[in-house]
Amino acid sequence: MAALGNRVAALGRIRLLRSSVFIQCRYSNTLPEATVEKHRKSKLAQDPEESETESLVAPRDYKYVYPEFLPDPKPQYRDRIREKLEHEDMFRRRTVLKIPEFYVGSILAVLVSDPYAPGKKNRFVGICINRSGHGLRSQFTLRNVVDGQGMEITYELYNPTIQGIEVLKLEKRLDPHLFYLRDALPEYSTIPFDFEPVPHPPGATIPVNPVKVKLRPRPWHERWERQDLQGLQDLELPERFYERAREVAKPWEKYDLMKQYRESINDDDAAKIMGYVYKKIQELEKTKER
Amino acid sequence: MLRFRYRFRQRNLPSAEGTGSGPAGRISKMRKLVTALIRHERIEGKHPYLDEARGYAERLIDEAVRNGDQHKPTMEIANYWLLEKDLLHKLFKVLVPRYENASTSYTKMWNLPTVYPGGGYHMALLELRNNPWPDVIPQQREVKNNLINVLIKAAKEDHEKNQQLTEHKQSEFTDQSTDTGTTTSQSP
Amino acid sequence: MPHNVIHMNAGRLASRLVRRFCTQAKSLSNSEVTKKRNDLFTKEKARQIANISRLEKIQVQHIGPPEECTLLMNKGLSTPFNCAMHIQELLVTRSVVALVNGQPWDMHKPLVEDCELQFLHFKDEDAKIPNEVLWRTGSYILGYVLENAFKDNFYVELCSFPKPDVRSGSFVYDADLKTQHWQPSPTELNCLSAIGFKLQCYDIKFEPLEVDASVALTMFKSAQIPEIAATSATGNTITVYRMGTHIDITRGPLIASTNLIYRYSVTAIHDIESPDYGPLKRVQGIIMPQQLPIHYWTYEFLSERATKLNPAPVPSLKSKQKLAAENGS
Repeated sequence: MAALGNRVAALGRIRLLRSSVFIQCRYSNTLPEATVEKHRKSKLAQDPEESETESLVAPRDYKYVYPEFLPDPKPQYRDRIREKLEHEDMFRRRTVLKIPEFYVGSILAVLVSDPYAPGKKNRFVGICINRSGHGLRSQFTLRNVVDGQGMEITYELYNPTIQGIEVLKLEKRLDPHLFYLRDALPEYSTIPFDFEPVPHPPGATIPVNPVKVKLRPRPWHERWERQDLQGLQDLELPERFYERAREVAKPWEKYDLMKQYRESINDDDAAKIMGYVYKKIQELEKTKER
Repeated sequence: MLRFRYRFRQRNLPSAEGTGSGPAGRISKMRKLVTALIRHERIEGKHPYLDEARGYAERLIDEAVRNGDQHKPTMEIANYWLLEKDLLHKLFKVLVPRYENASTSYTKMWNLPTVYPGGGYHMALLELRNNPWPDVIPQQREVKNNLINVLIKAAKEDHEKNQQLTEHKQSEFTDQSTDTGTTTSQSP
Repeated sequence: MPHNVIHMNAGRLASRLVRRFCTQAKSLSNSEVTKKRNDLFTKEKARQIANISRLEKIQVQHIGPPEECTLLMNKGLSTPFNCAMHIQELLVTRSVVALVNGQPWDMHKPLVEDCELQFLHFKDEDAKIPNEVLWRTGSYILGYVLENAFKDNFYVELCSFPKPDVRSGSFVYDADLKTQHWQPSPTELNCLSAIGFKLQCYDIKFEPLEVDASVALTMFKSAQIPEIAATSATGNTITVYRMGTHIDITRGPLIASTNLIYRYSVTAIHDIESPDYGPLKRVQGIIMPQQLPIHYWTYEFLSERATKLNPAPVPSLKSKQKLAAENGS
């Protein structure tokens, strides 16, 4: 919604090169009324192709199945027209390539076109440790240990060079990311390239893997004891680490409602977007059946 | 969804509870303000603090309205934000029914006049909608039935009627002139 | 007095609506008539008060701000004004007229039974009743102005005034000024206005008194009186109002006191012809209350509209009901 644009607008008027609409104030999440009126009255808006009100109500967890359709919560990076265009492109891509449902902790195999590989294709299998990005730029990272060398590859979901994404094992983990696998024993990150796909009956609930990972001795990439991670075994650190963790902890962030609101798309807007996505996905599946 | 103008970035309020109280002090101050708002339904204070507290209060009420008191995480959040535990009952049993079908924000904020000389800070008033106190800006009486307004309105209608009559008379005059023209031409 | 005015001769005395005290007198003066009416009024009022042998109490329920309360007042003696004195000074100073059981009631008219009482003022959201009451008072005061403006050797006979119509822009009193060719100059109109305007300096109450038709006849000697009295609740009473020394008959309530007036003007005098009463003069004016201070520009603008002839019906002897409706209601 709107913000105190007046004081912030004093920061300057900057043209965002990526956006198709001239946003006068870079930090404003409102358009000036003159611009809104101009576009409202323009002839392009007079015959809308589809009405927004016809979208369905998506199931409650839809935004976790298709998180890339939600836009960037930061208002200075939002552009409604760009979002709409990107959504259209995403649906078009999905008609060609099946992008399955997966979560952090699932084991995926990705086939990309590689001009330098024999057979012009390259297959990588790994455990998904992270999903990030929004729209056409949404990404996921697969981790594996190949010949004793840990490696991570970040793929863009809608990159046209991707020939196929296959979910070998569909499951969730206890944490939103698995970056601690970098400091864990290699057995937790090793997935054989000939991993047999584990069948997942459609409509079944996604299993949560409660495995607790054992870390190698310190030094680590991050201070894992300071993060609220559920998927780790006891870190067996000296007490001073935990004391310091308690000192620097921000226990209020769990209840900081406004911080959470600003860092995510609010429920009402998300529901609207997901309703539209749900409708489109249904149409897609119908056409695929035919 | 928040239905009022809120800032993109939070105000850090570095000395919310004294110099160097930091984010912990800020949250603590917010809890106190939210508790006070739920208790008294109308509070006065410095504008930046109340503006920040407004967001938290609205989010709290929103969570309560959406999820109800049987939802454990919502009860935890309410327990954290409301320092006086009798207000938990008020939140779920009084405010939730009040705002169940609201299409506006749950709070309203007013700017108070600057007190001069004063401390140089802006004061504001934050209140819950439909609170039992008298309106901040009292409803003004309708004056359209005052004697003077009635007379002026009647005079205006009179004047308009007269104008219409004069226009009508003028148009009659022009018709007559054309009529006389045709008759004279036809006469032998 | 303009030199071309002819003093009316005895031929006019034959008119049915001559409000003279004594038909035998050769020359009359308004001041004599007024004095005699006053004496009769005072006597009648004293008689009515003396008639109250025992003080009975009535419960008066006050509704509306500032305080809803029940008052214990004296039957036949206590007026809404007295009730206001018990509640708050605001009600005393700003109240124009009272509503007793929803019906308009004079502020100085005694209450006769248990009732619900409300006070009305000019700034109410629905100010229809106070406006009409003020307009009626304006007409009443015109009668006072006409009877007191001229010297004693010029006799003025008041006829009647129609139902108040605020939207017409002026109130009216039809009277026989016994002059046929008098066009008042602005100065003369100002002089007439000043008589009404000066009243606001005094706190003169408008006292209503319900008198028997016979008493009213002795005061006014008008043939209409029995017909008007017949329309009253008892069938034989008529309400007579006194403001200081001026007495007149009018049906509806008048404002509480002359100190509620802010501006008063006599704006025009038109010639009208009554089928029953002959040539009369229609005297028009406007009045403004203290509670609504009006800018002089607006006031002059409204005064200009008030100079146009008021379209109210001309006084005539019609059916009983119509007459009663017309005569000062």
